[in-house]
Amino acid sequence: MSTIQDFTGYKPTWCSGCGNWGIGMAIKQTLVQLGLTPSDIAVVFGIGCSGNMNDFLNAYTIHSLHGRAIPNAIGIKLANHKLPVICVVGDGDCYGEGGNHLLHACRGNHDITVIVHDNRVYGLTTGQVAPTAQKGYQSKSTPAGIIEVPVNPLVLALTSGATFIAQAFAADAVQMATIIKAGIEHRGFSLINILQPCVTFNKVNTYQYYLQRSYKLEKNYQKDDFRSALNKSLELLEEKFPLGVIYQVKKPTYTESLPQIKEKPLVEKERFRDFEKIVKDFI
Amino acid sequence: MIDFTWKIGGEAGFGIMTTGLVFSKIASRLGYYIFDTIEYPSLIRGGHNAYEVRVSAEKIHHLKKEIDVLVCLNEETFKKHQQRLTINSLVIFDEDEFKIKGKKYKKISIPLEKILLDLHGPVIMKNTIALGASLAVLGGKVDELLKIIVEQFGRKGEEVVNFNKQFAQTGYDYVKKKYPQQIRPLLIKKSLESKLVMTGNDAFSLASVIADCRFFCSYPMTPSSSVLTTLAAWQKKTGIVVRHAEDEISVINTALGTSFTGVRSAVGTSGGGFALMVEAVSLSGITETPLVIFLAQRPGPATGMPTWTEQGDLLFAVYAGHGEFPKIVLAPGDVEEMVELTGKAFNLADIYQLPVIVLSDMLLSESHESISKKFIDDFIKSYKVKRGKFLKEMTNDKLQMTNQVQNPNVKSKNFLRYKITKDGISPRLIPGTPEYFYQANSYEHLEDGHTTEEAEPRKNQVEKRNRKWLTYLKEDFSLPKVYGDLEKAKTVFVSWGSGKGAVLEAQKQLGNTALIHFTHVYPLDKEKVRPFFQKKKRYILVESNSWGQFGKLLQQETGVEIKERILKYDGRPITAEEVVKHVNSLTR
Repeated sequence: MSTIQDFTGYKPTWCSGCGNWGIGMAIKQTLVQLGLTPSDIAVVFGIGCSGNMNDFLNAYTIHSLHGRAIPNAIGIKLANHKLPVICVVGDGDCYGEGGNHLLHACRGNHDITVIVHDNRVYGLTTGQVAPTAQKGYQSKSTPAGIIEVPVNPLVLALTSGATFIAQAFAADAVQMATIIKAGIEHRGFSLINILQPCVTFNKVNTYQYYLQRSYKLEKNYQKDDFRSALNKSLELLEEKFPLGVIYQVKKPTYTESLPQIKEKPLVEKERFRDFEKIVKDFI
Repeated sequence: MIDFTWKIGGEAGFGIMTTGLVFSKIASRLGYYIFDTIEYPSLIRGGHNAYEVRVSAEKIHHLKKEIDVLVCLNEETFKKHQQRLTINSLVIFDEDEFKIKGKKYKKISIPLEKILLDLHGPVIMKNTIALGASLAVLGGKVDELLKIIVEQFGRKGEEVVNFNKQFAQTGYDYVKKKYPQQIRPLLIKKSLESKLVMTGNDAFSLASVIADCRFFCSYPMTPSSSVLTTLAAWQKKTGIVVRHAEDEISVINTALGTSFTGVRSAVGTSGGGFALMVEAVSLSGITETPLVIFLAQRPGPATGMPTWTEQGDLLFAVYAGHGEFPKIVLAPGDVEEMVELTGKAFNLADIYQLPVIVLSDMLLSESHESISKKFIDDFIKSYKVKRGKFLKEMTNDKLQMTNQVQNPNVKSKNFLRYKITKDGISPRLIPGTPEYFYQANSYEHLEDGHTTEEAEPRKNQVEKRNRKWLTYLKEDFSLPKVYGDLEKAKTVFVSWGSGKGAVLEAQKQLGNTALIHFTHVYPLDKEKVRPFFQKKKRYILVESNSWGQFGKLLQQETGVEIKERILKYDGRPITAEEVVKHVNSLTR
């Protein structure tokens, strides 16, 4: 049986009070709860404060390029669909630089769990605006206020085919762990958007801001209903933040749709040798 | 000796490509060697398509100047290609559609339109009539064509097969009856040896499967696309997984994910797509994740001329990626070399844990050549999958491979993925191995994979990665091949990749020349390469680009400068005639 210690790598370098601490702990707790060891999982990190978790979490991991964690993760899953695969990414990483990958990973229902640290700001490059920032947000790169409206990741994922969509708040470790566990257990593409204050660079979207505007989904909420999920996801427009599993349905995953890896994962298969079958195409 | 060129042309979108390949296959099945090329604009309909097949009793590597049989499905074909006809050339056309004046060529008019009307056939059947007619003119039997029709349409039922067959037979019979005096005995069964008709893209696809590549990822881009479609079609037969991703950035990063997990992986693209991949080429470099990149060049910059040929991305490939990291670039010169070097590329990527680029171009990627089936059979028999220091399990004797300084409370062991070694290559453990873990890190890292910004470990890792090149040059670099007698030759051509074919053909005409042909284009071993250039001879660089890119690379890597150059960059392949003309016009 593994413990939190087994997953604990180097001491984190995050700012004190940063939401990343809570998210990092919730991820480790979840892995312990699931009875996994560092050898049983693959994690892909993007680049940013969130991605720096690479040195603090023990697992088979890739610390990838900015924006490219999702395709790496898809590759890992295609090669060995028995491994649980998690992406730890930021809002700029996943909704900006790698936005295209997110849409297409949803479409494919690739069985990976994408945990997005959404703090509406770029921390590692010292405070420029992120794609989730509210219109008018002033930052170093948008001193007059951002002209663009924010992306709505929940709606994007929902309308692109994701089969598990959830939102959590970095200050609520217990609910976060429950949601991350459900996301890893879900077979199919899971997006978990974590509302996370950046104590150093974002003075608008603070713990207080989210405490006032977020609420937990009701017990009788119908998470398999697309229209309800759409309505919940659209509450961002009113600065309301539902917390919990907003949408979950069961559909075949990408690897489940590949007959060639039905028996064994791709990496474990015997080498194909019946070359005559394809050579004859050229006669 | 039998050596002739058959060419068919018509409006794009009406089956010219398929028809040309059928002709190549018939000639090959009869025992002849073929070399073919296609000409098409970057359009689906409209514009001009042509397919040219050279058939020879001997192995050939390129086209020849004259067209012996020109099949004109429209007038434009005749206008575009008539300058390559001779007094003995045969022109097959339909005089109801256009007239050809004078007696400069031998003319065979077939009422294509009328036959279509009589038999109620769609326009595409003109090809089948023309193929039947061509076989008759060349003294072949219609049976070979009828057999291919059965192979192509058998699944659709007898009715479809018979419908197609009647057009072939009508074209064939028409020539036999009306033009018996024009029939030439050129396509008579020659040998029983099986030959395969393959393009460079086919060769890459086939060799990838033989090399145990299990994952191929791509985004369609001419002229690399047929690798994607061929391998995709083979998924059921071979078990390979093929992903057509949303863009080339996703393509290469997906493949790095599969490769990290232990699956031999490759990607395919052309210049523009490769430009998008470049950041992740660098990721492959620092994470030391093996990857084979198939790069089929076409004329750039930007969208350039998508359906034409150029060797314009050599230096781009060589220097692709930010930061310093080793990579290997291979450039096969023909279909057989594509098979061999693709197989080698997968082994090199695994052994040295780095990106290996296999450079092709439109000429090599889309031209068919015949190769003997025995060559493939031998390759299959002799090919060994070499995975280098790839560990599929851990045993106690490898314990020194783990970090001794880690937190004692952690039960699993941190595998030293980037252990400093003499040859620069660190053991790689398959993710999922119980009791271990490690990270592949895009940041500079310590031996255990953790991020570092310290001076000493940085220096050690840079030097470790660079040492992989030295090991490669010692163990696996291959010298250029010499064609002809380098000692006796007065004129020595220097070329690389697909430049080989035109020069070999030119050599047949020139005599007393040699060709130094490079396939292992980067990195180059200075000490081993320089001796090829120490004679006082006339060296001529031959390549398809305007900068003489290989010449620059050769000079930079070895100090050898070649001043005389034949460079072509109009999108058309260099021809043997151009090489001969250059040599003769400037003979000193």
